[in-house]
Amino acid sequence: MPQYQQPPSWRLEGGGQILDLETAVKDGILGGGAGGCGLGSATCEKVDLKKMIEELEPVEDVPSVFICPISLEPMVDPVTLCTGQTYERFNILKWLSMGHLTCPTTMQELWDDAVTPNRTLHQLIHAWFSQRYLRFKKRSEDVQGRAAELLETLKKVKGQARVQALKELQKMAVDHSSVQKTVADYGGVALLTSLLGPFTSHAVGSEAIGILVNLSLDSEAKVNLMQPAKISLVVDMLNEGTIDTKINCTRLIEMLMGEKDFRSEIVSSLSLLAGLMRLAKDRRHPNGTWTGLSLLKTICSHERVRGLIVSVGAVSQLVELLPNLSPECLELALHILDDLSTIPEGRVALKDCPRTIPNAVRLLMRVSESCTQYALSILWAVCKLAPDECASLAVEAGLAAKLLLVIQSGCSPELKQRSAELLKLCSLNYTATLFISKCKLTRTIQ
Amino acid sequence: MGSFCSRQKPYNEADTEENEQDAEIERRIARETKAEQHIHKLLLLGAGESGKSTIFKQIKLLFQTGFDEAELRSYTSVIHANVYQTIKILYDGAKELAQNESDSSKYVVSLDNKDLGEKLSEIGSRLDYPYLTKEITNEIKTLWNDAAIQETYARGNILQVPDCAQYFMENLERLSEADYVPTKEDVLYARVRTTGVVEIQFSPVGESRKSGEVYRLYDVGGQRNERRKWIHLFEGVTAVIFCAAISEYDQMLFEDETKNRMMETKELFDWVLKQSCFENTSFMLFLNKFDIFEKKVQKVPLNICEWFRDYQPMASGKQEVEHAYEFVKKKFEELYFQSTKPERVDRVFKIYRTTALDQKLVKKTFKLVDETLRRRNLIEAGLL
Repeated sequence: MPQYQQPPSWRLEGGGQILDLETAVKDGILGGGAGGCGLGSATCEKVDLKKMIEELEPVEDVPSVFICPISLEPMVDPVTLCTGQTYERFNILKWLSMGHLTCPTTMQELWDDAVTPNRTLHQLIHAWFSQRYLRFKKRSEDVQGRAAELLETLKKVKGQARVQALKELQKMAVDHSSVQKTVADYGGVALLTSLLGPFTSHAVGSEAIGILVNLSLDSEAKVNLMQPAKISLVVDMLNEGTIDTKINCTRLIEMLMGEKDFRSEIVSSLSLLAGLMRLAKDRRHPNGTWTGLSLLKTICSHERVRGLIVSVGAVSQLVELLPNLSPECLELALHILDDLSTIPEGRVALKDCPRTIPNAVRLLMRVSESCTQYALSILWAVCKLAPDECASLAVEAGLAAKLLLVIQSGCSPELKQRSAELLKLCSLNYTATLFISKCKLTRTIQ
Repeated sequence: MGSFCSRQKPYNEADTEENEQDAEIERRIARETKAEQHIHKLLLLGAGESGKSTIFKQIKLLFQTGFDEAELRSYTSVIHANVYQTIKILYDGAKELAQNESDSSKYVVSLDNKDLGEKLSEIGSRLDYPYLTKEITNEIKTLWNDAAIQETYARGNILQVPDCAQYFMENLERLSEADYVPTKEDVLYARVRTTGVVEIQFSPVGESRKSGEVYRLYDVGGQRNERRKWIHLFEGVTAVIFCAAISEYDQMLFEDETKNRMMETKELFDWVLKQSCFENTSFMLFLNKFDIFEKKVQKVPLNICEWFRDYQPMASGKQEVEHAYEFVKKKFEELYFQSTKPERVDRVFKIYRTTALDQKLVKKTFKLVDETLRRRNLIEAGLL
């Protein structure tokens, strides 16, 4: 049950007085009219309570007497039982229809199953939310007005003033979703994009990107952003910025990659790929790791770029990273490695990295089916490339036992099939007895 | 005990005085070392004629007091020398082309101008050049306007025609005035092969005037024989500004006419990147002479240079220029990552498109370089 909270004092619009609950009740919150809005504003009478509650969601300091004890939500149609307890009509009727004949909060048996609409409470709730709603609307307009002002300012100023305006706009865009629409309406997207060029300072660029990444960009905007000079700037900032800037730049590029005219040359930048690897490896910022890996995975889906990814040493770095990754990141990393194993350089890099086989074997049947699938695929690629060398290494690392686990598990038939084939491949160099001994699950593997 | 102490006293006094002096010297050394640490060392490197000295002059103009009249005047002889050198190279070049080329007739200087040519060529080979009088200027101008010389100029890439040729030829009248004082632009165009090392110290003044960053910029000679002098400068460098003239993909070295300049730059950049003393140094690559590149790339295909042989033109006009530039940029990026060990990939590496003669552009570019270096500083100090 919610604790009884001291309701906050309200400030009435226009009156400018601070009232507590008692005085507010006395003074006119109960005013006439269907809406019960004592504030003299014509609009709030017509606004439906349900709609207001929805738009204001989430409201933090709703007085506890307005909350339905069953759903813990503000009541739109409060009704009272014979015990004097008030509930949301829908919820209590449901309770009663399930056959319960008790009051949910007091546990008393009901001597009368009638529900009485609590008009007093309804009017209070409506008035409280109306007031909040008006305030919200006004603040929204203020914020939107300020945003429009800032956009105008940006057209004129340069240097530090520009950086400050951008900073303020970015904060507002993050805090208020209405600002995003304002920015779009006032041609903000084009303006911000025009600020990005070969001579844009890091300070200006990082703020502009911070705003753009939170807006919904149309096709034209995205194509505009795909110009080489602008992409170069984004890549530079990705390499040099704070973690937030890095994440914003990464997210922005990911947004652009969704565009249908996207050409893979745009992301064929070694600086970008090296920067993403650096982001992924940064243990201090796990959300950065995820963002970086996510973009790398998207880039990896373009076959032509895979060679470049391998050339920045991504394979060994990703393999080294595997033991420390969270499950979501693990799936991404394995997916990337699997994609890279489709090209010859990728396979060679995987084979040359000493930790590939032990890390991949360890991950079989450990996290999820898709992780197992990727790990298996990687092991396949490596063992096929150099069966003599790798098969024995893999078996020593406990591959055989793991493969048996897969085969006996509830995994998909294709997966089991592949496991069986790999098992066969690995067993070729061993005598039957020796191999069987390798299949035993050691305690570490268990 | 007492006598022991009193005997020590005179020694103690002398000692303390010496100790005091030592301590003072130590303190001074510490102060100066500390002061030196706040000075960021910037090194301008690159092959010959890549634009290092022009950048150096620009920095001087932007952040120091620029050139006073005496300094400007000191360039007069250099500029006049450039004029004589240019016309000599062109005339001698015309003769050579007339002998060796299949369509030799277009390189044959007209009979009237032949004597002029011989005379000017002779002057150009002297150690000391005469002052540029009106008379000689007219002669030079006549020769410059000769059709054969213009044809030769169009083939300038296989000769060693300096980039300032056209500019000075077009301004001959002004250069030969009796009271000629070179303008800033003239000084920027003036070409002298740097030998040895030159340095300036400056503080870029930005909006935040309290920035207090002090830079010391070193300019060096780029020709092969000069490079062994570089190694002495390599310690404790904050950033290397490597200048690469991207317009010279079809030209040969001054010091070795069999070697393509772009290939030389490629090898040099590779060598510099691999130096162990630059492990933590930031690299700013200035892809310079973009203005010349812009014009050239539409007439001379990039794949003339071995390094760029896999270039495929896509469009034409301005788009093509952009495309070509991006291609060259990618090549340098590739080279950087190939030459850099994985552990070192964290050092700052940025590429800038520059035209060293354009002061505004250099100022904007340097602002960015400064911002990058300051950020790097803060990151290393753990403040960002």
